[in-house]
Amino acid sequence: MLLNAEFNDRQSIAAAIAALQARGFGAGGIEVYSAQPLDLPDGLLKRPSHMSLAAVAAATGIGLLAIVFVRATEYSYPVVTGGMPLFSWWASGVIFYEFTMFGAIAGTLGMFLLESGLLRRGPSIPAPNLTDGRIHVRISCEPENIGPATECLYLTGATRVEMVEKQ
Amino acid sequence: MEHRWGMAIDLDRCTGCEACVAACHAENNVPLSNPEQAAQGRAIHWIRVDRYYEGEFPDVRIKYMPVLCQQCDAAPCEPVCPVYATYHNPEGLNVQVYNRCVGTRYCANNCPYSVRFFDWFEPHWPAPLELQHNPDVAIRPAGVMEKCTFCVQRIQRAQRDAKAENRPIADGEVQPACVQSCPAEAMTFGNLNDPESKVSRLAASGRATRLLEDLGAQPKVFYLQRAK
Amino acid sequence: METAVGIRADTLRNTLWRPLSGATLGYRLALSVAFVLGFWGLCCWGYQIVRGIGVAGIRRPTMWGFYLVNFVFWIGISHAGTLISAILRLTNAGWRTPVTRAAEAITVFALMIGALFPIIHLGRPWVFFWLLPYPNSRLLWPNFRSPLLWDLTAIATYLTGSMIYLYLPLIPDVAELARRTSGWRFRLYRLLSLGWTGSSRQWHALERAMKQMAGIILAVAVSVHTVVAWDFAMAVAPMWHSSIFGPYFVVGAIFSGIAALLLAMAIIRRVLHLEAFLRPLHFDNLGKLLFLMSLLWLYFTVAENLTAWYGNDPAEMNVFTERIRGRFAPYFGVMVFCNFVVPLVLLGIRRLRSVRTVTITAVSVLIGMWLERYLIILPTLSRPRLAAATGFYSPTWVEISITASTFAAIVFLYLIFCKLFPIIAIWEYKDVVERGV
Repeated sequence: MLLNAEFNDRQSIAAAIAALQARGFGAGGIEVYSAQPLDLPDGLLKRPSHMSLAAVAAATGIGLLAIVFVRATEYSYPVVTGGMPLFSWWASGVIFYEFTMFGAIAGTLGMFLLESGLLRRGPSIPAPNLTDGRIHVRISCEPENIGPATECLYLTGATRVEMVEKQ
Repeated sequence: MEHRWGMAIDLDRCTGCEACVAACHAENNVPLSNPEQAAQGRAIHWIRVDRYYEGEFPDVRIKYMPVLCQQCDAAPCEPVCPVYATYHNPEGLNVQVYNRCVGTRYCANNCPYSVRFFDWFEPHWPAPLELQHNPDVAIRPAGVMEKCTFCVQRIQRAQRDAKAENRPIADGEVQPACVQSCPAEAMTFGNLNDPESKVSRLAASGRATRLLEDLGAQPKVFYLQRAK
Repeated sequence: METAVGIRADTLRNTLWRPLSGATLGYRLALSVAFVLGFWGLCCWGYQIVRGIGVAGIRRPTMWGFYLVNFVFWIGISHAGTLISAILRLTNAGWRTPVTRAAEAITVFALMIGALFPIIHLGRPWVFFWLLPYPNSRLLWPNFRSPLLWDLTAIATYLTGSMIYLYLPLIPDVAELARRTSGWRFRLYRLLSLGWTGSSRQWHALERAMKQMAGIILAVAVSVHTVVAWDFAMAVAPMWHSSIFGPYFVVGAIFSGIAALLLAMAIIRRVLHLEAFLRPLHFDNLGKLLFLMSLLWLYFTVAENLTAWYGNDPAEMNVFTERIRGRFAPYFGVMVFCNFVVPLVLLGIRRLRSVRTVTITAVSVLIGMWLERYLIILPTLSRPRLAAATGFYSPTWVEISITASTFAAIVFLYLIFCKLFPIIAIWEYKDVVERGV
């Protein structure tokens, strides 16, 4: 069962979520939809992000791959140029750096797609219409909790609360 | 023993006649150019004779300097080619692989001796000169770099002959076209790894210098001139 | 800090969303002219491939000419987005929001155009893919030690990164656009929006990703133009072989990037009636940045030339005198005038700084920076170490046509972009407005 509440301003959102969580609704069942990003105070709907870790990990991984690739292939095709060694850290350093950066980019993009939940194909619930600038709060709750949830939302400033059928 | 091909050019003997230039054109199928192209900087001369004038008339001294690919041991042109179209073969020659060249021209920009030439168009010889091509030398298509090869086709022929006859290559047996054609016998070609060869002895003489020595390219063409 | 609190929602709707529907006569005319000129450039390139690269004016010893100048110039322009978006995002400069997308679009298109030039200038462009490491049966491999391979990896990375950096903030706006359109546009926007719903989870991930990308793209941008500079600095040619080239080119790139952005801003402000969003404040701030970069550019130019002149190395002095007192002297004078004198007067004197003068300065800087690339490449090649090989370059109609057509190409791409996506990042803008930053 999904409840959809509309709010007019940002400030009441934080109060609403805090109230809901005090009532016992888990953070996993609450989602906020807005046309602009919301700066919620710490602790509310906090989701740990592993994006920097992913970027660093992908950067290191792809960078190392590039080093192995260049070194292995330079020795597979031994062509002498300018009296210089076949494999040179400094002369290939730029390439290692760029591949490391590419890894960071790929890691960031990948983690973004993962953490945002975009590209997921699943049963889709129509997203709330955000064109009018309102902010929506959606809670998934059991039928018996609808009453307390609705009361909570209206108390904190919701202008409308309605049920959306979960498909 | 591996050969290491080198050349010595005696500047005190050079008369500036440019027979070497003509011979090189004939031997290596070097494309010809007309006066307009030459004025435009499009002429190709694998070996060219630079003239340097010193002093004022009537005390003018002219120095003729035949400049060809110096076949540098630490060639600046080699590391910059993105496709390995130019590299060092085991006999010390700086090899230009026409088939591989994509035409970035970075090697030409990095050559301090300006000895690299580019084929801007498909080569063209006015009739009947197209009948005079040397079958041992590839004709370069448009868009590739070319330069002096120390007449590598003659080196290879001598190596084949020597191997067939089961003997080493004698000193003076291999002569690039320029060396062969010089009427003043100013040019010597040979194996620098053989300390007894004529070119090694000339290179070790007190008259031997190299062009742009301080750049550290380690050229293998030695210029002999009276020490001033 | 000015805020646009007075802008009503319907004004926002009308000015920001309106350009995306319908096409005025002026738009169609500009698009057609840009297309024709761009297509003409393509034809010239085709002619060059068929006939041989000799139809260009390059020759021995000036083996690199207009095409390399354009290459460095366009890669330099591509630093617009990086500076505005990345640096200003990292420093939380709120005034940046109306210009971020315009800047990022310039970056992507300038990179695409700049990356074409290494292929255009090849003697055998049909085998350009030999620079790529692909498995083959002929024991062939690219040379990773060549600065041109460094170029390839750097530009490929930067292009990927900046396209992602342009795309990420576009997602919320594209999702909004999907709600407002129908037909093929709706299908396009829905595809591009990846199912964006505006949930806090998605916003959180997006903001983190954008912040991270800002840092990464900054690191990549600095390296890209350094690597392009090292195409020249790694050569032993006189006055190219200079350790200052890396930072010099990066500074020059940011300098020309800001100028390109200012010109683009001035045009879209006028054409799309965005005076309420691209306000004198933005031109003033960017104008001050442009002035700062002009001083920085002057510092590097003086440092490079002074050390060459004082060192009195004969090979370098040949190039130096040719550039300052010889055949290139007029261009050098124009360059200093355009890059330093004009910004000093029009931007340095506060009373003269206005939207119009800032735009004039931007055009002047673009001309000056193009000349600067020309004066870095040509004098060195004209005066090689062995004086007998001296020679001078003059471009042909083929090179001039292709150069002109690249300007038309970026106009064309930009016009199409403005018609498909809002040129101001609406969600970012509204976000900043509401927060009163």
